[in-house]
Amino acid sequence: MNYMPGTASLIEDIDKKHLVLLRDGRTLIGILRSIDQFANLVLHQTVERIHVGKKFGDIPRGIFVVRGENVVLLGEVDLDKEYDQILQRVSIEEILEEQRTEQQAKQESERLKLQAVKERGLSIPKADTLDDF
Amino acid sequence: MGDSEHPEKTGESVPDASWPENGDQWSDKGEEEDDECELLQEMAEEDEEIDLYNEETFGLDEATSGDNPAADPMDLLLLCSDNSPTPQSSPPPPPISPSPHSSHSPSRPGSRVWPHTPTGRPQRGRAGRGQLFDDPAVVKTVEGRPSLKWMMAPQKSSRPPVASILQDQAIVGVIDRSRHGRVPPVSPNFLSPMRPFSTSRGRRGPPFVGSFNQRCHYQNPMVPCSPFRPQRLFSPQQQYNQPGGFLSPSRPPLSTPMPHTPKLMHLQFGTDSPRPAPFYSPSTNIMQGFRAPGPVAQFHPQHKRLLSQRQQRPHRKPVSWDPYSQIMTDKEKEWIIRLQMIQLQSKNPHLDDYYYQEYYQRIEAKLAEEEILGDRLKKEPPKLTTPYVTKALSYIPVVHIEGSLGQVAVSTCFSPRRAIDAVHANTSDEHRDTRRQRLEVLSTIEKLYIVLLEVEEANKMKATVSDKDEERRLMQNIKRKVDQLYNELRCTNLLDSGEEFISCLLISKGKSMLARLLPFLSPDASLHILSVVTKNLPVLMSKDTDEALPVLYPSLRAVIDRLAFSQLIRNLKEFTATLPDSKDTRLTLACQNKFGLSLLYALLSQGERLLSSDLPMEPSIGDFETWTDTVFHVARQLSQTTLVEPLLLPSNLLTLFCRYLDKRTVHQLKNNMESATGYLAVAS
Repeated sequence: MNYMPGTASLIEDIDKKHLVLLRDGRTLIGILRSIDQFANLVLHQTVERIHVGKKFGDIPRGIFVVRGENVVLLGEVDLDKEYDQILQRVSIEEILEEQRTEQQAKQESERLKLQAVKERGLSIPKADTLDDF
Repeated sequence: MGDSEHPEKTGESVPDASWPENGDQWSDKGEEEDDECELLQEMAEEDEEIDLYNEETFGLDEATSGDNPAADPMDLLLLCSDNSPTPQSSPPPPPISPSPHSSHSPSRPGSRVWPHTPTGRPQRGRAGRGQLFDDPAVVKTVEGRPSLKWMMAPQKSSRPPVASILQDQAIVGVIDRSRHGRVPPVSPNFLSPMRPFSTSRGRRGPPFVGSFNQRCHYQNPMVPCSPFRPQRLFSPQQQYNQPGGFLSPSRPPLSTPMPHTPKLMHLQFGTDSPRPAPFYSPSTNIMQGFRAPGPVAQFHPQHKRLLSQRQQRPHRKPVSWDPYSQIMTDKEKEWIIRLQMIQLQSKNPHLDDYYYQEYYQRIEAKLAEEEILGDRLKKEPPKLTTPYVTKALSYIPVVHIEGSLGQVAVSTCFSPRRAIDAVHANTSDEHRDTRRQRLEVLSTIEKLYIVLLEVEEANKMKATVSDKDEERRLMQNIKRKVDQLYNELRCTNLLDSGEEFISCLLISKGKSMLARLLPFLSPDASLHILSVVTKNLPVLMSKDTDEALPVLYPSLRAVIDRLAFSQLIRNLKEFTATLPDSKDTRLTLACQNKFGLSLLYALLSQGERLLSSDLPMEPSIGDFETWTDTVFHVARQLSQTTLVEPLLLPSNLLTLFCRYLDKRTVHQLKNNMESATGYLAVAS
């Protein structure tokens, strides 16, 4: 029962498994045990999940205390739907390797893009020439 | 944790030699017994706090209460503290004398996280529980020192400043106030999970004041002693007014020590810090079993109902399969709910909580429609209503301690963290000039947005208010602000462009601001803006990288629809006139721009409407000729060039063209316009 209709509250989410996306891009999955007024979270039996393509790997982390301001979003994990997914679980080593490869590929493509743009005499506008920040 | 470690080390190695200078006042056998005493003291402390809570809740006299769990430990405490120097016997000066003993115990390592005042208890115990609250200020001030002193432990010289704190009128004043403003006892069904330390200040005096003080600065949760007692009273409002003071029921880590000086204490409780006092005043309308925080004095009845329902709900038994399930207790949850509710209270919900209010109004409107159409809905969507409240006193975001090199950021719930002061760096690069000017204009626009919001708000209120005087006052207010906006916007001069309004029109935010301001402007002013836009259309179109111009369309359309014929002609003439620096006309350029084309169409449509209507027009000399010329010119241009899709294609355009042009041209024109929009240009 929501005591404050029209508001968002994490009270109802306690003791449920959640997926939390952090500002640094990490994905944590854990049982939400405690919150406070800043939406600082205490996650229990947390697992950091790394996704690369259709594969993912879990790194068990234990207890996480996350400062509220670093959370992008979080949502409850539907335990029924959690396991029948298209995604394929792999080992930690493998997923880390995949992640590294993906990172390298991305950097390479960025570099090429920048080079191509420069060759054509264009420029990517810098943030300070844009309006409305 | 440096400070805390140090006394611990000294405590372990040489307990009494280095620390208090008058160690000779100590008894030798105090050493071993103190180990036991420490534990007992801790227990006694907890029990005492329970008793305090009970006292406050039930209004029972400690002495008469049958449930006195602290009795035994207290006795033991009495026993082991017998060898301590008797502060009661020695008169206040030297007030330091009790402190060595109590500061001695905090030097013990391990379990203690809270510098508490063990000396106080035996005194109180001896005096009898009933006299516990006799004169807390006097008793507690004495105890206060040890904790403060302990926090400043590494330096030996801390004693004189310690004494001065307690003579600090502000602190004593706070204590007195808290004593006077005692919260009346409430029913046992008390929800709140925590006792405010400010309340307990009335009981305990500066020991808590001091530690609270130091901790509140870091927003660290505090706990009086080891296992958290959920039966504490809590008044979130009070917390808000402590600079940075947030109490949460969890066990705190010891914060990194800050250089605390008496002056800081003073600042915390001095004149410029938010006073906790107002929030002590007992609320007149206390809900059964639920104390409303702050000066609001009550929650909305619906809130009360919700919360009481929550109360009456039976206690949920812990989920059997999850051993960790009740880590967060119900009381803690309710504490957070209350906190969140308080945050929602506002004086002007439509301003503070705009999106929710809008959303709710739309839901209600939809429901009202459905009610009219279908059967009545049984229940309304639950609405969050909180009573209006005067805003909390403004806090001082930055506290400057004399002699310090920097500023201490005070955080409250309204501003959790203050960023460093960003100083505007003045660069002299020429590129930077343009950028800087744009930034200046942007900052002006952003500041003016607040004025615009006030105008819109006042306008909304004007519709609802019934009192004529009020309405008039609001109108004057609106007018004043609108004038201010108009004048400020016209003056911003970017790159010495000479034309008014251009600098703000070149910025997307400025465009949307003008669009919102236009409905409020007088006809002359809005006409002026329209002509500015029309004249400078090429510049605006070319520099509109964000494609923000269309935001002006609705407002300008409204202006155009009110135009008289001659005014219209004047504006239309601009389109066909050749531009000074190129051979294009605005017309040719407008064909390629959504906004420009739409503007043109709007003008033509208005002309057609005026002509075909029966209203008498007052055309100036040459107006009709200009009009006909323009129409021909436009038609020719439109049929030749490919057109972009306009924002809105008025339906009477083709009628207009039909009247002046031959069929073939009209047909060509129609095809051209239709191919751009994909819709039929007109149903004629």
